[in-house]
Amino acid sequence: MIPSRRRTDLSNTAVPVERAPTVRAGGATSLPTRLVTAFSGTVGLVTKIALLAIFNALVVWALEILAADGKWIPVFIAAAATVTIDVIYLLPGRTPAKFLIPGTVFLIAFTVIPIVYTVNIAFTNYSTGHILSKPQAVDSIKQFTLAPPPSGKTYNLTPARDENGDLVLLLADADTGKPYVGTTEGLKPVDRSTVKMSFGAITAAQGYTAIKGAELFDPASGLDKQLDEFRVPVGRGAIHPEGIDNAVELEPTLRYNPQADTFTRISDGVVYRDNGKGSYQTAGSEELEPGWKTYVGFSVFSRIINDPLIRNPFLRVLLWTFVFATLTVGLSFALGLFLAITLQKQFALQRFYRVILVLPYAIPAFLTILVWGGLLNDDFGIVNKLLPWGLDRPWLFDVWWARVSVILVSIWLTFPYFFLVCLGALQSIPGELVEAARVDGAGAWQVFRKITLPLLLVATGPLLIASFAFNFNNFNIIYLLTKGGPASGESSIAGATDILISYTYKIAFATGKGSDYALAAGISILIFFIVATISGIAFWRSKALETLR
Amino acid sequence: MLNRFTWRIGALLIAVGALAALVATSVAPAASHKRTAGSLRIWVDADRVNATKKLAQQWASSRGFTAQVVQKGFGNIRDDLKTVKAADAPDVIMAAHDWTGELAANGLVVPLFPKKAALKQIPAYARKAFTYGKLFGMPVALENVALFVNTKLAKVPKNWADLEKKALAFKKGGSGRVALDVQQGSGGDAYHMYPLFSGLCGYIFGSSSGRLNPNKLGVANAKFLKNAKLIDRWNKEGLVSSKIDGNTATQLFTSGKAAYWITGPWNIDTARKAGISFKIVQVPKIKCASVPFLGVQGLMVTKYAASHSVATAAKDFVQSFMAKSSSQYELTVLNGRYPANTAAAKRVKDTSLKQIGLASKGGVPMPNIPAMNSVWGDLGTAWVKATKGEDATPAKAAFQTAARNIRAKIAGG
Repeated sequence: MIPSRRRTDLSNTAVPVERAPTVRAGGATSLPTRLVTAFSGTVGLVTKIALLAIFNALVVWALEILAADGKWIPVFIAAAATVTIDVIYLLPGRTPAKFLIPGTVFLIAFTVIPIVYTVNIAFTNYSTGHILSKPQAVDSIKQFTLAPPPSGKTYNLTPARDENGDLVLLLADADTGKPYVGTTEGLKPVDRSTVKMSFGAITAAQGYTAIKGAELFDPASGLDKQLDEFRVPVGRGAIHPEGIDNAVELEPTLRYNPQADTFTRISDGVVYRDNGKGSYQTAGSEELEPGWKTYVGFSVFSRIINDPLIRNPFLRVLLWTFVFATLTVGLSFALGLFLAITLQKQFALQRFYRVILVLPYAIPAFLTILVWGGLLNDDFGIVNKLLPWGLDRPWLFDVWWARVSVILVSIWLTFPYFFLVCLGALQSIPGELVEAARVDGAGAWQVFRKITLPLLLVATGPLLIASFAFNFNNFNIIYLLTKGGPASGESSIAGATDILISYTYKIAFATGKGSDYALAAGISILIFFIVATISGIAFWRSKALETLR
Repeated sequence: MLNRFTWRIGALLIAVGALAALVATSVAPAASHKRTAGSLRIWVDADRVNATKKLAQQWASSRGFTAQVVQKGFGNIRDDLKTVKAADAPDVIMAAHDWTGELAANGLVVPLFPKKAALKQIPAYARKAFTYGKLFGMPVALENVALFVNTKLAKVPKNWADLEKKALAFKKGGSGRVALDVQQGSGGDAYHMYPLFSGLCGYIFGSSSGRLNPNKLGVANAKFLKNAKLIDRWNKEGLVSSKIDGNTATQLFTSGKAAYWITGPWNIDTARKAGISFKIVQVPKIKCASVPFLGVQGLMVTKYAASHSVATAAKDFVQSFMAKSSSQYELTVLNGRYPANTAAAKRVKDTSLKQIGLASKGGVPMPNIPAMNSVWGDLGTAWVKATKGEDATPAKAAFQTAARNIRAKIAGG
């Protein structure tokens, strides 16, 4: 872009160079100097060891929790990493490593590990009904499928101890009032004359001592658990205590076969088998709930590709996401740059304008987006009320005007950022270049296009790419302003203003059986690849701008 | 030499630090385990935390036990239950009935078997609301939307035709007024629109063998489609507008620009504070009874209660203590919601609460099966499209599209 004969040595004017701490006249030293001298020697050493000790103590605490959970691989990795970090900081030299370690640790902890987890989840079936582990699911199924038999009884319960001090249940039939004693052997009726009853429950019985409430709840006695697991076998099932005053006769409706790993329905012999996808299923498609979490290979990704419900809107949403991100970044940058250039020259209210132009960026976006949602309301919002007759629009209710609204609001939110960036970057463009160009006879527009803009892009290129990546996934503005709506004609899940990430959210949490974390993880990985590819290409191409220097 | 020396000192100090941490942490977990073993942990949302604390205290002191009430965001109770560590998990949770299906399918809550006498005092629909094959929760409070009528600005309608006439007359009587104030917004709100939906003979799921069947969708059933042209008429005469969202709806009523507001008991205080004198009635019957969605709140026992060895205590609290009419009445007084227990309901003194309780007659509990997730969005959108104003979609087409989309989502999920 710049003619090569114009290449000027910019190395000493590019960026304001940090001045080394200097000793001023009179012996007074600047703050950086004082800090450096204070932290050299013993004080620095002690501080370093203290910080390392605290860091190690925290790691030990974390290792303990991980070990208690039985997660041995993270324990090993964390321990090895901590030892390495200690060694690097205690040995002399190795300065680059010492500077890079904190950043690397945070990068791994907050970026790499979440990505690894997400990839892991995408290969499972983690969703509603598939949260537990398999043994937990089997236990739950056994418990949930207990049912009262057709003529099952309920009893008023009084826990008691017999002469040997063992736990027994004093039961009184809730309907007939007939008293019984329930033990682990079975149910034994007792003579009415040997018991005292009140309000249908047994309060005292010969040969047994009723357990007082306080003892029941005393955690040291372990009675809560004992009572909860006590079973009085009767008929095909057993009597289960439910609380401290109620007991119910329940029988199993499914029988579990541990060797064959199947459940069989007792009433008609239907068999439920492990279907390899995390639940027990009959030959038909009747499933037992709950299921469990298990690895299902690439089924999430094949679903994204093959399920028309997910695939059909995908391309449209992808295109709109690109358009949205590009327009937001492009137009915000243009507006921010224009304002920065305009407000470069000194004039009366320059400071005032600079302040209010930064406000949209300073006020929390959550608040302002919601307020915009109200302002843009068709009938009640002030925007339509202020516009002259005939210019009012269904801002958030019409498919295309909703898209325009979303872009306008996101530009409003983003331009102050580029305004600030451009203000700073414009200072760094050496005045001599512009003067030289003017002397050569270049007009204002040529100066801008051939000198100012390329140099500006070198400085702000990475920021533009980062802003693009941010807006590609700007869930907040879409969800808060339009919730992804309004509904566009054909598609069911994706609205007119849905971007990939809000579309993912809707698929994962607002369809089917509820939360589908595995599907959300799968689509997130796809989005990651898309954004990473674009960013990678953009950074690679922006190196071309570096040759200007 | 100095470096080696430093190294050794450093290593020693770090070892000391690590050891100290070990000692400290070996004490802390023991303490936290003791806390869990001896007390009942309850998760409650912000609205009900004070009431629950008081009742849990009463129960705990009557049994010689301790109860620990933890406040969480309402949605977080359901979501965090999936991922919470066993040591921190609650034993009892306050839940909305429409979570029942999801929580039961995830195996996170256990079936309850309260005494028959206790269950008799709970209305059948409230029991059904917490049933997903088995009963999983003890209902304690009811919630439903109803018609709030500003008695100073308008009269209580005798029937639907009367409401239509009066509402439209009110709208014409001043600028910026609306006829029927019901919130939708661009995202739609199938919950608030349900009385109108059921009034036109719509329903969500049919049932088979006592359970809701997600394949029997009633969103665009024949009767409803026949009545759907009424929606087009309402849209043309401006009776209902989907441009009104939640905040706007409240604003319109409290500033006197709307005399007929469809909302729920959470706004009773709002209306009172704005100085409005109002009466609450059920939305009048349109072609079928205009019944609202019922939200039932209740207590559930989680599967963690057994592993914490407090299962008996948890079941006692939920099935015996909180089922009593005195407990539920106390909860009502502190909480501002209608009680589920019928004996407690008879004691309710607050006029508005009594009226909204009466307005729930015949109401339909929101379906508690996981498939319901697929319904909200499209049903709300159908209403928005049909009541948009000038460029509204004809209602019949809008709801048929919705039904088609919902079927696809349920099948795909």
